[in-house]
Amino acid sequence: MEMIGFLILFPLIVAALLMVVRHNTARNVIVIGGTIAIAVVSVALVVMNLGTAGQYYYFQSEIVNYACMAIGVIIGVTIIAYGIKYRNVWAVILAIIQMGGSLVFEFVFAHDVTCTRGLYLDSLSLIMTLIIGVIGSGICVYAIGYMHDFYFGFHDSQEDNPKDRRPTFFALMFVFLSAMFGIVFFNNLVWLFTAWEVTTICSFLLIGFTKTEEAITNSFRQIIMNLVGGIAFLAALYYLVIEFNCIDFMDFIVFGTIAPALVVLPLTCFSLAGMTKAAQMPFHTWLLGAMVAPTPTSALLHSSTMVKAGVFLLVKCAPIYAVSFAPSILVILVGGLTFLLCSCMAISQSNGKRVLAYSTIGNLGLITACAGVGTAEAIWAAIFLVIFHAIAKSLLFLCVGTAEHHIASRNIEDMDLLFEKMPHLARLMILGIMIMFIAPFGMLIAKWATLVSFVDTKQFVLLLILAFGSAATFMFWAKWMGKLSGVAHTEENIERTVHLTEWISLGTFSFLCIASCALIPVISDFFVEPYIGSVLGISIQPVLDDNLYLASIMTIFMVIVMAAIGRVRSKRVKQVPVYLSGVSVDNGKRIYSNSLSQPQEATARNWYLEEYFGEAKWSPVGTIATYLLLGLAFIYAIMSFVGIGLM
Amino acid sequence: METIISILITLVASVVFAVVAAVLGCLLSGIDRKITARMQGRVGPPLLQPYYDVRKLLAKDTVAVNTTMNTYLICALIFTCIAGGIFFSGGNFLMCVFVVTLSELLFVIAAYSARSPYSEVGAHRETLQVMAYEPMVILLAVGFFMATGSFNVSTVLHMDMPIVGTLIGIFIGLLFILTIKLRKSPFDLSYSHHAHQELVKGVTTEMPGKMLAKVEIMHWLESVLFMAWIAIFFVWANPICIPIVIVAVALIYFLEIWIDNNFARVKWQALLKSAWLVTLVAAGINLAVLTYL
Repeated sequence: MEMIGFLILFPLIVAALLMVVRHNTARNVIVIGGTIAIAVVSVALVVMNLGTAGQYYYFQSEIVNYACMAIGVIIGVTIIAYGIKYRNVWAVILAIIQMGGSLVFEFVFAHDVTCTRGLYLDSLSLIMTLIIGVIGSGICVYAIGYMHDFYFGFHDSQEDNPKDRRPTFFALMFVFLSAMFGIVFFNNLVWLFTAWEVTTICSFLLIGFTKTEEAITNSFRQIIMNLVGGIAFLAALYYLVIEFNCIDFMDFIVFGTIAPALVVLPLTCFSLAGMTKAAQMPFHTWLLGAMVAPTPTSALLHSSTMVKAGVFLLVKCAPIYAVSFAPSILVILVGGLTFLLCSCMAISQSNGKRVLAYSTIGNLGLITACAGVGTAEAIWAAIFLVIFHAIAKSLLFLCVGTAEHHIASRNIEDMDLLFEKMPHLARLMILGIMIMFIAPFGMLIAKWATLVSFVDTKQFVLLLILAFGSAATFMFWAKWMGKLSGVAHTEENIERTVHLTEWISLGTFSFLCIASCALIPVISDFFVEPYIGSVLGISIQPVLDDNLYLASIMTIFMVIVMAAIGRVRSKRVKQVPVYLSGVSVDNGKRIYSNSLSQPQEATARNWYLEEYFGEAKWSPVGTIATYLLLGLAFIYAIMSFVGIGLM
Repeated sequence: METIISILITLVASVVFAVVAAVLGCLLSGIDRKITARMQGRVGPPLLQPYYDVRKLLAKDTVAVNTTMNTYLICALIFTCIAGGIFFSGGNFLMCVFVVTLSELLFVIAAYSARSPYSEVGAHRETLQVMAYEPMVILLAVGFFMATGSFNVSTVLHMDMPIVGTLIGIFIGLLFILTIKLRKSPFDLSYSHHAHQELVKGVTTEMPGKMLAKVEIMHWLESVLFMAWIAIFFVWANPICIPIVIVAVALIYFLEIWIDNNFARVKWQALLKSAWLVTLVAAGINLAVLTYL
């Protein structure tokens, strides 16, 4: 329990220190020291509790209760202040509703309700601990080098910049980690709610960090959507306290599994809260807007924090979805539609970060749908999707961020010849991409499990969605990977200016990528199956060990090939320029001498199939459909609530 | 221990597949060219012409635009063999499908790595083709599971009835995308053996002799594997199925040759739309019936 306390409180101390310290070297030392401590304690906690079936700690504290209340007020006041400053009426109204609601809740309704088991730890928390503690802190290390380049470019040395707001930036990152640890360890729903809101406000401040007009607009979009989710969470708390006098998360799940008809309304509210945070349609636009922030923010939001908090809540509720009706259908269809449409829309995007964002939303949709199915196999699939998505997406974001600083673009078209310009970085990016979409790498194994669970539960619609969505996924990743892999033997290596801290993070993530892909059966035995066994009593591994080990062998083979490819230049190969329907003048730029003996450049762009997969076409469809689904689910929930009242 | 044995069996089966399927695929390709020639009123080359072609290609000097392409192609060839090994050792059908996709990806990346505008066009088209047929292939695996209760290919040997009976919609869908997979006109957008409808040489534009030989061998292996996908629809626990399988496969391959010779290449829009539509209707209805009835 001390270690849990450490993981939640220590990042806050680091954050406070970072706010005070203004000196660059000192800040770097604190960040590196802090992240190492967090990572080490996370790993130690995991090792000491390996394979746990769940431990609940009797822990009550008035201090924490009051701290939560104070944090709630601070969050509310901050949002209101920003709302007034930038004249955003909706943010102010929603913040007032939420702050007022939570204060009334604390003083009037929940004052006498207690939760004796304040903290807990199970195998899912352990997985999340690794994701937050290792990947989250790895991103913080990466941010050291990145944020330097962000302000000064990679040529200049340290100098004073009045606009340098790095102290705030790093402090927010650490607060974020602390809140995430809170979310995975708090069993007291009121505390959990507070941590939930802290992640919301942190991402609000991080998205609006640059204070450009676009950043402010996007950050308000995020806060409004997530306040709606927060209010839904609060509504669920009201219901649980008034009806059952319960703020114990475990009790809620157990009770909900036994009597799903009695928790329809709070479960629908939790679903809404989880789906807003996990950026499901129609709330996906906040995550798309979030990419205006510096890259480490995006990496943090997409991989280890924020959106993972959303799916974490949904996966926790999965056993209830398995036995309930309307909330399950809501979550399945919203998740499924999001996966399908966002995978299709990703095809039409040429901005690398936007492709990543759509892919994130799509994969979160798949996780959401798995949670909605809620069987042992579906939970297995969902957890592995979370793991691989976290690792591969953090790697990809960091690669794109570094590439952006060196080629001055995040457009995929400009990543032509990256394989030669930045040989290591391009290989790592390709590794990340391959994990995201192709067997035998992790994400596809998780999708395989997803397919098995959908077949077993006869989810006809989800099967169709998965088949078409996966095909779209192939298209947008393959063409990106193709763009990266071009080799003309003409370019200079420009990656020598990448900071050591960036390499350390990239190296760590790549190692994690490879290790996790190769060790799926082990992760399944020690983490995923104990968790599923502890919540459902049984645990099935949807994909047999034989196939998993075969996949591991192929993974390692592919990694070795991709690491070695192009490094050894065979003497026996005679190199010639590419065919350009004329005499080639410049192979790298693809310029040839045309029939009038004039130099002519041959150009080729990737296919974006705008006409078929454009945003303008599909985004409204998804938004309207998911709004309808949400509306119907809430009508059903309220009617069932009224029905219970009449009985 | 069992795991190790099963993996070893798969690997041995891959090697056996590589040899046997290469021979069969070569003959199939020879027969294909012979029948095609007859349909066009020609005599056609000798039966072993594909073999002579590949032997000659292998003897060529390596003149290449870069050094990475060859590695990608070798890997693609290896993974095609492994996919065959998984399938013919009675392994997991989904795994087989995924490994075929991996080999397809490596083939596409080999084309992209050349950076020639022509091979890039070919690569884009090839990627689009994968996107067009992939849903059907996944639903094929799903249908297989629903009909047999397992993803393992070997289960068809214990069925009381051939699965084509319950999976007729899936079978029709598979026939449709088989034309794409076998690179037959009208769906041979990325790489055609009809010179008159080709843009330079599509996906293989920058692939010199030895590499082209690998592509050709890979195509033989794939043809055999895909015809085996067709064959499992007609297998059940009765030796009488053997002649039935042979006749069915022969007829379907003949049908593919006939289609190849009678339809001109379509645009990619038509390919994508028709493939997805057929998948959605044929496989969708079939699966809906299996799910809800």
